[in-house]
Amino acid sequence: MTGIVDKVRDARDGERQVDVDALLSRVRALEHFLRAVDQHLPEQQLVPARTLVERASARLALSRDHTVVALAGSTGSGKSSLFNALARLEVSRVGVRRPTTAATHACVWGPPETAAGLLDWLGVLPRHRFVRESPLDGDDEAPLRGLVLLDLPDFDSVEQAHRHEVNRLLGLVDLVIWVLDPQKYADRVVHDGYLRHFHRHRDVTVVVLNQIDRLPDADLPYVLDHLRQLLEADGLDGARLIAASATDLRGTAELRALLERTVAERQAALRRLAGDVDAVVDRLSEFIGPPVAEDWIDRATIARLSDALATAAGVPVLAEATERAYRTRAAATTGWPILRALRRLRPDPLRRFRRAQQAEATTDPAPADPAAESTPTPADATPVPTAAQPSAVSLAVRIVADRGAEPLPAAWPHAVTTAARSRLDELSDALDRAVATTDLGLGHKPAWWRLIGALQWLVTLTALTGLSWLVTGYTLRALDLRELTYPMVGTVPVPTILLVGGLLLGPLLALLVHPFIRHAARRTRRRAEARLRAAVDELGREHVVAPVRAVLRAYAEARDALTAARADGEPQP
Amino acid sequence: MSTYGDDAADPTGAAVVPDQADESGTTTARVIPRPTAESFTTAGLPAALDRLRAAVREITYPLPLPSAEAARQVANAIVTQLDSYLLPRLARMDAPLLVVVGGSTGAGKSTLVNSLARARVSSAGVLRPTTRYPILVGNPTDITWFHSGALLPGLARAGEAGEEPGGMEVVAAPALDAGVAFLDTPDIDTVVDANRALATQLLTGADLWLFVTTAARYADAVPWELLHTARARGTVIMLVLNRVPPEAIDEVPAHLSELLAANDLATAPVFVVPESDVDGQGLLPEPAIAAIREWFGRLAADPASRESVVRQTLDGALAALTPAVTGLADAVDDQVAAARDLRERVASAYRGGQRDVDQILRDGQLFRADLLARWQEFVDAGDLFRAVESRGGQLRDRVVAALTGRARPERRLREALETQLVTLLQNTAADAAERAYASWQVHPAGSALLTPELARPSDDLPDRARRVAQDWQRDVLDILRGESGPGAGTATPPIGLTLMVAALASTAPAPQETTAPPIDAAAPEPSPTDGTAVTDGRTTLAAESVLRAIVGDQTAQTVISASRERLLTRVAALLDDEAQRYLARLAEAGVADDASAVADRLRSAVAEVEAARRAARLTDGAALVLPGTPS
Repeated sequence: MTGIVDKVRDARDGERQVDVDALLSRVRALEHFLRAVDQHLPEQQLVPARTLVERASARLALSRDHTVVALAGSTGSGKSSLFNALARLEVSRVGVRRPTTAATHACVWGPPETAAGLLDWLGVLPRHRFVRESPLDGDDEAPLRGLVLLDLPDFDSVEQAHRHEVNRLLGLVDLVIWVLDPQKYADRVVHDGYLRHFHRHRDVTVVVLNQIDRLPDADLPYVLDHLRQLLEADGLDGARLIAASATDLRGTAELRALLERTVAERQAALRRLAGDVDAVVDRLSEFIGPPVAEDWIDRATIARLSDALATAAGVPVLAEATERAYRTRAAATTGWPILRALRRLRPDPLRRFRRAQQAEATTDPAPADPAAESTPTPADATPVPTAAQPSAVSLAVRIVADRGAEPLPAAWPHAVTTAARSRLDELSDALDRAVATTDLGLGHKPAWWRLIGALQWLVTLTALTGLSWLVTGYTLRALDLRELTYPMVGTVPVPTILLVGGLLLGPLLALLVHPFIRHAARRTRRRAEARLRAAVDELGREHVVAPVRAVLRAYAEARDALTAARADGEPQP
Repeated sequence: MSTYGDDAADPTGAAVVPDQADESGTTTARVIPRPTAESFTTAGLPAALDRLRAAVREITYPLPLPSAEAARQVANAIVTQLDSYLLPRLARMDAPLLVVVGGSTGAGKSTLVNSLARARVSSAGVLRPTTRYPILVGNPTDITWFHSGALLPGLARAGEAGEEPGGMEVVAAPALDAGVAFLDTPDIDTVVDANRALATQLLTGADLWLFVTTAARYADAVPWELLHTARARGTVIMLVLNRVPPEAIDEVPAHLSELLAANDLATAPVFVVPESDVDGQGLLPEPAIAAIREWFGRLAADPASRESVVRQTLDGALAALTPAVTGLADAVDDQVAAARDLRERVASAYRGGQRDVDQILRDGQLFRADLLARWQEFVDAGDLFRAVESRGGQLRDRVVAALTGRARPERRLREALETQLVTLLQNTAADAAERAYASWQVHPAGSALLTPELARPSDDLPDRARRVAQDWQRDVLDILRGESGPGAGTATPPIGLTLMVAALASTAPAPQETTAPPIDAAAPEPSPTDGTAVTDGRTTLAAESVLRAIVGDQTAQTVISASRERLLTRVAALLDDEAQRYLARLAEAGVADDASAVADRLRSAVAEVEAARRAARLTDGAALVLPGTPS
């Protein structure tokens, strides 16, 4: 039942009930947002949010039993007169000389010491503080107990300092009573400079058209109508508008009743802050767009990064070289020994051209030649590090940066790019190291090479044995020493078989082994490439993807936080 | 054109006698100096002002600099002032004096005008702003002149109801003396923007500005800004402090006078009108405005005084042109400087890219992994030497390549070269675009010109980079052909490739015998199996040596540096095209190249006006002192 009653009243008054816990959790959510975007978004655009978090915490920590109400208005609109009328005391000096009030005056209803902290925070000087409610008043002033009424200086006079003071305090107070007068109610400085910016605070905004005693009675409704139109144009439709006169005290009772209600509700401070949170959340919304999936930097992107990094670091070339090296080395071990020697004798075509600067004849920059056995190098030895091609690395990193920046609102891409690049220098070195130290699988000679190699020697020995046997026999015959009789297999003598068989078997063996070597070389290449790629992939994830993902996570967090800061607030009626 | 001299015969001639009579019986404390017809000539002014007007209209402020918006407004104001006041006023020095009644909303301007005219010509009311279009009230004899549209030509004249925007109502009021007309203006501080702009425009048309304020308003900031403007412009000002409640009658006028003195406006007379009830017609009681009426009556009766006022305002307005136009010229200079700055930022970003490319080529950074391996493969495969030795080898190689299905090392090297160059250029262009973008972003005018796609290189950059690489290959062959003669047979693709390799990694021309052996001796031969462990110097030297062997030492040096130069030229052209996208934004925004000439024209035009003003001697130099205030 009460719920319905509340709703009806809310609808009537354009007021909302703000739960302090809900407000606090919204402020916490804002804080969370600020933490999440720290370092990622331009700091100066976060200043209003930071200020608000600080101010909300301060205000809520101070007396919540007090309601700070400020009388603001242009010079000569009768703020001070109204102040005195409400206080029923001659507190603030009233004068004809413009601008009259230079410093903010405060009047506290109730025990002054409880409001001292609040007034310190507001920056009202002790000599400008007044205490209302004395034993003499009896209970007359009791309904206003907890009210802190401020009389602000003007904001439209030639005194710039007044404007600063007003601007400062307008940011701190709980409820603002705008005091306008028939002469100035349509001034631009009032509407464009101030009222328009309070459209989120319409439930803590009261507009008083003061000095109605100076208007002919018949004209008053027209002026009020016009003022209401102007307020609507300012986005303040629904804000309370009261016609008053501090001289004949018309409307002051209504204003007082309103203040009594506000004080009793203890809602103004919360509403004010809720409105502030609304405004700040609104401003921060530009930093938040659609949600970004957790795996936005997806496999395809990472694969592209890895590919590009691998190419930049020379992985394909290295893999190819590994295959050739495997074949070269296998040939060196398993090839026919005689042919090996012959191959070594083959002249290097480049030598002719390098004679001028030839330092040592053994140099052979020919990795492509499988026969170049003269310079076998253990692949596991750390070679001279050569940096990966820096432009290619940088270009590869862009893949992730662009992908990461794509779904984010305008303020974020810079953060993403910065994150993607944050470890670029490290990355180049790490790539070099990875490429240099990855085991290419050429560390040891496989057993079967040795076996084939031994076989080759055996076959060669056999051929040599046959040869020497034949040579011995021939020599003996030539010297007529004695006739050597060879054992025969069929019609062919055994040494001939040994020689021919040995000579034939060697290349045959090499030929037979060749497909295996090729296969094994390809396998080694694939293994090496897989290892190199795994290493590069790991580096890419660690140095590029992880920082970008961190930014995306921060974005997601900020998004959740802002949603929380927004969603918790009850919708305005 | 009617100059002063023409008109002098009739009106001043008629006025001379009473003037002299006045002076002889010096009871009236009139201190307005009487002009003498010979003392000034406005002959040169209209032409000079026309030229100034043309120069001012010509300027544009395409870049959104802090000074631009203000300058644009000043320029508009100057043109408006020339059209609506200075030129027509110079043409008719004897035209009736126009008193523009200005002030805050609710200050009672309309009520004052009505009361002076003794008729409800302008509606006064409680709703703010009341007056939404200007109303000119004058003696019936003066009305024809104001109807003619010479003064304030921008406003359409309406006889009775000037309801349409941009109109001005002209009303005859016999109660007013001939010679002085009043213009009731909209408010200067209302929420209605159009009103404010119009009010400001009307102030420029004033011979005399009657500023109306109230006891509640006199310290408002907005009207004081306008008072400052009027003072700077040299307009003759008088003030009416309206609606002064009895309790404030002592303090407020005194405070206002203090404020006026503090703001260098002490010479302006102040009339105080006490808060009083209006009669049934909405007019103020006659005693409240008697002093004002009398003051204007005296002014109306004395053509010489009127002319003094006109000349004072005219002179002030002309004198105020110099600082205003100089400000415009400065703003143009700002534009020129900002445009130059923005161009320079882009140029420096892309120059940086050019330097990077140069540096990377010098460092041999391109000769990493892939390209190095391809080069070695190419050398080992012997393509190069067969190419030198005989043509038969090539054919055989081709057959072999076709049969084995393996790409020839030559093609693989070419592709690797191309890929590396494209990568380098892409990255360079991306870096440069990013730098240029960032440098514009922190510039107020630059950030407004940026579009998101400028942050990255143009879409077809990879294609164009590839074209650069391909064109360069042709260049290299041309260079070889040119250097060694067409018959030398060295302009073959393999030798071209060797030259490209040499050029890509070559540092400054290397001494031939001194460095080569140590490098070769010092570094152990690279591990062929790793394919990466080769330092760049040796590659280069190898390629260089090959070239030397083929074309001779001298020619080798020449062709290598020529090739490098050609590549760098092509890269520069590519980067220039990229930078052009930024410069195009400037051009689109309308930044003219000859803007500084515009500034010069402005300055000389205003100097001419100033010279003409001095020559005209509109005032004798002393500030005009109006008849004193009743207080």
